Amino acid sequence: MSLFSSTIHWLEQGLRYASLRQQAIADNIANADTPGYKAKDVRFQAELDRALQLEAKRTDPSHFPFRNEQNGKIIVTTNANISYNHNGNSVDIDQEMSKLAENQIYYNALIERINGKFNTLKTVIKGGK
Amino acid sequence: MPMFQSLHISASALTAERLRMDVISSNIANVDTTRARFVNGEWEPYRRKVVVIEPRGEQFSSYLQAALGRTGAVGNGVRVREITDDPAPFKLVYDPDHPDAGADGYVRLPNVDPLKEMVDLIGATRSYEANVTALNASKGMLMKALEIGK
Repeated sequence: MSLFSSTIHWLEQGLRYASLRQQAIADNIANADTPGYKAKDVRFQAELDRALQLEAKRTDPSHFPFRNEQNGKIIVTTNANISYNHNGNSVDIDQEMSKLAENQIYYNALIERINGKFNTLKTVIKGGK
Repeated sequence: MPMFQSLHISASALTAERLRMDVISSNIANVDTTRARFVNGEWEPYRRKVVVIEPRGEQFSSYLQAALGRTGAVGNGVRVREITDDPAPFKLVYDPDHPDAGADGYVRLPNVDPLKEMVDLIGATRSYEANVTALNASKGMLMKALEIGK
């Protein structure tokens, strides 16, 4: 058993996702007036759930694990079908601003959690002193 | 994945919006300019300038990361492609005493509509503010990331 449980790994994945999503939101807001621009979004959660489910039983320890890459895949999607503007732009600025706030809180929550995790480890290492 | 990419994206938009504001200011300032260019021995009025903006494409590194299955490709902000002239016809105003009036007494005035410029100005200001908010959010997140392990 490793000292650092997989929780930290998943928290790190979440932080990666949140910072990529921040980039996508910043890009959408930056292109709010660009003709023909289509809004991007970043998806992760569904992929993470699937990655967590896929764990095959190994009959021999030398077998490769089914889930050899522990990275939840983060994908960028573009919805090209919507246009909110006459110039073909699909950025909904209200939605982007609320996504911005939501992503910020999500990121901060992950940081709090990862700090809590490290503090727990610190407490254990110091023997509760 | 570059750490400060989201800041750079918002910064590129701030630059673009500021340039838009500069061009709008120039249009409003030249609303009565009848001698902007000397063409074929005749003065031509000021033509309204329009800023053409386009998304700045994804960088090679983000495509590489996407191909490796690590992360997806996100755009890289916005950039100004060019500043073009508005081809709309000039306004004709009857003023025979004007030094630039033609033989028929009409003066050609710039094709600038102050109302349109004011609306564009408000749009540019609001976009600028939205990008400042996004920039501050990114900055707050990066500052928070520095607190990991403290």
